[in-house]
Amino acid sequence: MKWGLPALAALLLFYPFIFTGPFYWDIGVAFLLAAISASAWNIVGGYAGQVSVGHSMFFGVGAYTPLLFYQLWGLPPVAGVPAGMLVSLCLALAIGMPTFRLRGHYFSMATIAVAELIRIFVGTWELVGAAIGLQGPAVGRGWWDLTFRSELPYYYIFLGVLAIVLYTTFEVERSRFGYYLRAIKAGERAARSLGVPVRATKLKALMLSALFTSVAGSLYSIKTGFVDPESGFGILVSVQMVIVAALGGAGTLFGPLIGALILVPLQTATNTWFGGGGSGLTYILYGGIIVLLARFEPGGMHEWWQRVAPRLMRRWHAA
Amino acid sequence: MLLSAHNISKAFGSFLAVRDADLTVAEGEIIGLIGPNGAGKSTFFNCLAGDTAPTTGRVLFDGIDVTRYSAEAHARAGIGRTFQVPATFEDMTVLENVMVGAFLRHHHRGAARETALRIIEMTGLARQTAQRARSLGTPVRKRLEIARVLATEPRLMLLDEALAGLTPTELQQAIALVRRIHELGVTLVIVEHIMEVIMTLAQRVLVFNQGHVIAHGKPHEIVANEMVIEAYLGRGHRRRRETP
Repeated sequence: MKWGLPALAALLLFYPFIFTGPFYWDIGVAFLLAAISASAWNIVGGYAGQVSVGHSMFFGVGAYTPLLFYQLWGLPPVAGVPAGMLVSLCLALAIGMPTFRLRGHYFSMATIAVAELIRIFVGTWELVGAAIGLQGPAVGRGWWDLTFRSELPYYYIFLGVLAIVLYTTFEVERSRFGYYLRAIKAGERAARSLGVPVRATKLKALMLSALFTSVAGSLYSIKTGFVDPESGFGILVSVQMVIVAALGGAGTLFGPLIGALILVPLQTATNTWFGGGGSGLTYILYGGIIVLLARFEPGGMHEWWQRVAPRLMRRWHAA
Repeated sequence: MLLSAHNISKAFGSFLAVRDADLTVAEGEIIGLIGPNGAGKSTFFNCLAGDTAPTTGRVLFDGIDVTRYSAEAHARAGIGRTFQVPATFEDMTVLENVMVGAFLRHHHRGAARETALRIIEMTGLARQTAQRARSLGTPVRKRLEIARVLATEPRLMLLDEALAGLTPTELQQAIALVRRIHELGVTLVIVEHIMEVIMTLAQRVLVFNQGHVIAHGKPHEIVANEMVIEAYLGRGHRRRRETP
């Protein structure tokens, strides 16, 4: 559908003017953050089929570094973003080198283990606030602190980052690197026999994915002005990335967007209906989605739509 | 010699799947590997393709020792292989599958696509270009595997039962395709059970049994070889033949 992409871009661009007010803007920002994180995860988890359940380690590094720069040296949090990206890149390299010798579930388990170890370590490390975490500037000293009262500036910053992530993914998809990722996902042995450098390609994918996940973490902490071990490195952070991408369609460009579009309003609704008493509902929601996806639509909503859309079009033309 | 494998042995624990096998392949030859199931052909084949390293022995390709090369290094060196069970990339289209192979020599998308389309045309897959591999039947998938390897521009192609399970018409088409590939200057080593393929295509044949090479020679010599007949049909066959 030729009009699909411009319509989506227009909708995202004008969303704050269509749905006005802090409540809807907050949902919009949460949607964009979920879409950025899941799109970043999608590069390694979706396209290359290397299901990392420990991506919170990159998100956490990205979230902690800006606030650490502020706490230690009084620098604007945004100055810590490149440092977070650099640390995440090194971490991806250090994790990827040994774990990409492992395949399938073993890689997933290794990523969970490393992420949990980092969360526990950060929770006891005084320099980064241990279990209490870190805080950013309560009141902005200038625009460069990116501390805004309104959600609107955040919405457009996040939208800009999402556009960069999606454009990069689009370019990856069309490139030799993208073809290699999909070949690896389909069958490593066959890919190797065609000269695909499997380990190096997976490592590059993990590094690119870690880079964007780190940026997502930085956006989160700059916006909320706070991060602790659970909100930065918690397993739910990783699980949400996996579920958003899988729900929409892992290994597709717009799958994570579709997933975020379904999951974020659903989360907001459960939070609104059940308040603090329903805090455990997120786990039930995630578990339910995993079961439903595995049983009925392992390819996610994107694949479902690709199957259903031609039938609908035929009916529409017949009518 | 384009390929020479000397004293290749492969052990899995205490089980010796291949014992002291030798093979030399001159540029432009077509060699057939035959043998009963479990004879060690595929293991030997995997050693040649870099899929598994031999326990002992050496593999030289164009004078270079590639024994410890990885599978991807074998492909880069110019050795391509197909799999006994087609290992096509199921969610990718025929064009995308072949492009993965073409990317080995052509790093730009346009050049890889052009090469892939040319090979798709040559291998008779043009009608299926936009179809996903998962929607194809086994004969077409086997053809797709050949196309994909061909896109890597190999000097030596190792075909592992690439013609098995075809109807007589499909078999004739596949034989014609292998001939076309050979005419392009590609050297071929073919593992095959179908004697018609071996008799038609191979210039020399190696026979495996219980990990050993028990015979080698021209196809018409091999079919008359008593050891080969015994390996395929058992000792009872010889006794029946000897009984008046």
